[in-house]
Amino acid sequence: MGRVLSRLLTTVVLVVAVLVFAFPLYYLVVTSLKTKAELFAAVPTLFPQAPTIQPYLSVLIDRGMSSMLLNSIIVGISATALALGVAFAICYPITRLPVSRRLRAFVLNWALSLRFLPPIAVVIPYFTIVRTIGLYNELPALIIVYAIFNLPLSIWMLKGFLEEIPLEIEEAALVDGASRWYAFRTVLLPLARTGMLAAAIIVFAFDWAEFLFAFILTATPQAMTFPVGVQGLVTQFEIIWNDMAAGGVIAIVLPLGLLIVARRYVMAGLTFGVIREK
Amino acid sequence: MRLLLPTFGTVVVVATLPFILAVVRSLTSNSGQFVGLDNFSRALGNGQLYEAVKQTGLYAAFVLPTEILLGLGLALLVHRTVGSAAIRAAIYVAAMIPIVIPQIAIGVVFRLVYAPDYGILNVLLGDTGHDQILWLSSPPLAMLSVASVDIWQWTPFVYLIMFAGLQTVPSESVEAAQVDGATSWTQFRHIELHYLRPLLLLVLFFRIADVLRVFDHVYVLTGGGPGTTTEFLSLYLYRVAFRFSDLGQASALAVVVMIAMTIFYSLITRFLPTEAR
Repeated sequence: MGRVLSRLLTTVVLVVAVLVFAFPLYYLVVTSLKTKAELFAAVPTLFPQAPTIQPYLSVLIDRGMSSMLLNSIIVGISATALALGVAFAICYPITRLPVSRRLRAFVLNWALSLRFLPPIAVVIPYFTIVRTIGLYNELPALIIVYAIFNLPLSIWMLKGFLEEIPLEIEEAALVDGASRWYAFRTVLLPLARTGMLAAAIIVFAFDWAEFLFAFILTATPQAMTFPVGVQGLVTQFEIIWNDMAAGGVIAIVLPLGLLIVARRYVMAGLTFGVIREK
Repeated sequence: MRLLLPTFGTVVVVATLPFILAVVRSLTSNSGQFVGLDNFSRALGNGQLYEAVKQTGLYAAFVLPTEILLGLGLALLVHRTVGSAAIRAAIYVAAMIPIVIPQIAIGVVFRLVYAPDYGILNVLLGDTGHDQILWLSSPPLAMLSVASVDIWQWTPFVYLIMFAGLQTVPSESVEAAQVDGATSWTQFRHIELHYLRPLLLLVLFFRIADVLRVFDHVYVLTGGGPGTTTEFLSLYLYRVAFRFSDLGQASALAVVVMIAMTIFYSLITRFLPTEAR
């Protein structure tokens, strides 16, 4: 009896939890499929009466947000490559070469401390720098700032992945007379590829979602990223609900796709590699 | 060494540059003259700063315990009662969905929930007339609405970490305790909590860091309003810097925040289970 009751209770709690979490997302998708006419229904509908992709076309084409989508992708890929390149140059020595423990701890601690810095405090001086060197409203400014801001995460993730590759494998190649560069290129790099890819996906997702820096360091659609465009849809004087919802859906789809590809690494990405799935 | 120092050195310089520039800027007026600590006295003498700190504290005091208790509770519930590996895996992936959604999109989602006229919450409550509840624009409610969004997004994060932690509890000690007649509560209190403690600190570390920087969804949902009831630290700095264009005062605030966070960080990492010490 007690067992049946507790099973029932569990089911009820879980179903309620799932509903609370899923319903807002459901309503977002539904709204993004509504026609303009349906927006004027006295009571908002829970199902689209005549589903249409018109809001998506309106967002991407009429409002010209497809160029912002492209900006987001360009900035995301470039900043990810830059962050991971630098992170690798820092992580390779601290995981593979004899580096003093104190230096190693200092590097890692310093990187972690950046996680505590609110972006707004940093963006105030960045704003001045970027305007002074003429990069205001230009993609390269975003690329550099994103790379710096995701460097701590990149360092911690790569450190975790590189540590998992046994030192002995490389040492065996070195004993056989290979140069360190050769051992690095033919032994370590292929083994590190999965970890690098996982880190790249996670960092890209963070770049994709970033809002504050782009909001402050850009001014026109030429350099705006997609989240800045979505923000415009939400805070404009009269919100066009279906367009706004479509913008939200587009912003969500890419990270969701990446989540499915890299689900084993998401938690590592969110906790600087502390939580690892075996 | 030869590889590490140049790269790391460059990175530290690039990352520290904003701080130095903020210090320089905070000592000059908006027309470029050296004004000493004038900006600091204006920044620290402004009551709105403390109002923002207080609101951020209130937000944290509401959001953090709720997320931790709910996440922990759900993790224990699933851990104890759901045996099916398929359901566990499904919950695992589903719980990651809110976390990976960009904050701005979360703002969009909850506009659709809380907005008057088109928000679904009032519709579900059967309340669409002139006296509908203004979730985002009446003072105590706006704070709760904004906080509920945080809870919606981050409770699953706590759940995932706690659930992962529960899997590391050795089944022998749990079984031994059960043979000794331990209740569900004593089993948690004396065995599982011991394994979860470092992870709880980890959750706190990341959640505090996030709460201190919260901006995106609040900006989109309330813009800091009504009045300044949801104007948290980041939104306040934003207003001073980019609405009032008072970059002198804003730079002073940025310097104060950076120093405060560094001190706070070094205090909190003493308790953190990492190798970064």
